[in-house]
Amino acid sequence: MDLLTTSVATVESGSEPYTLVELVGEADVTNSDALREVLDAEVAKQPRTLIIDLSGLRFMDSSALHVILRANRAMDRQGGVVALASPRDPVAKMLRLTAADQLIPVYQSVSEASAG
Amino acid sequence: MARSSVQFPEPPSRSLPLPSPTNDAMYHTYRSDLSQVRALVLQHAREAGLTEGRANDLVLAVSEVAANTLRHTQAPGTLAIWHNAEEVVCEIHDEGTIADPLVGRHKPSLDASGGHGLWIVRQVCDLVELTSNANGTTVRMHMALRPPGAGD
Repeated sequence: MDLLTTSVATVESGSEPYTLVELVGEADVTNSDALREVLDAEVAKQPRTLIIDLSGLRFMDSSALHVILRANRAMDRQGGVVALASPRDPVAKMLRLTAADQLIPVYQSVSEASAG
Repeated sequence: MARSSVQFPEPPSRSLPLPSPTNDAMYHTYRSDLSQVRALVLQHAREAGLTEGRANDLVLAVSEVAANTLRHTQAPGTLAIWHNAEEVVCEIHDEGTIADPLVGRHKPSLDASGGHGLWIVRQVCDLVELTSNANGTTVRMHMALRPPGAGD
């Protein structure tokens, strides 16, 4: 089984569609290139909102965080928004420690994130 | 939050060798599988009695240092773990060389493309000792089992 699996969906919500990327497993330096490819591909489609569901992510290191921050910068440049949803304790700690949660909004759930 | 290291003696100069790990230290060699490294650290930290939050902090710290082995060296790295009544200690040794003695002392910008690893390590651990020379780099991370006045 892969250490990190990613799945991507376009969700039609009430107001406007958003892109949902779900990360499951452990995100570290050994799979950050693959994660970057997935996020780059979605950012290139220029969605208004890109929500990353972290509920299945058991671990995230600084390599993976940099990939997410990079996607956030790219989305910001093209007028879109990245939101993070339901990080588990170790991942939430990482976001808090680096103050990444000051740059990217973090929500309790995907539905809260999609409501903005 | 950075914890004070007052309960520990001053770390030795980075050019001096650290005292050897205890005889009952567990060793593990890794080349690419950091998940296994993390699992070993988590298991040992729990068994030693670290709280879940601080065990996860130690897992993050060790994983960040081990990630540097994969980034910067071709040879495998070695993890050593041991504990006593006061603390859990994890040590990573690899063949890399760190030139900057202040590495990880300052918080990098979130716009930077890297460099958060050792800063994070210094934030979450109670004490970090680092020695680096032509023979390689050793990073020793200490977590007190009963930190003074610390919760999670």
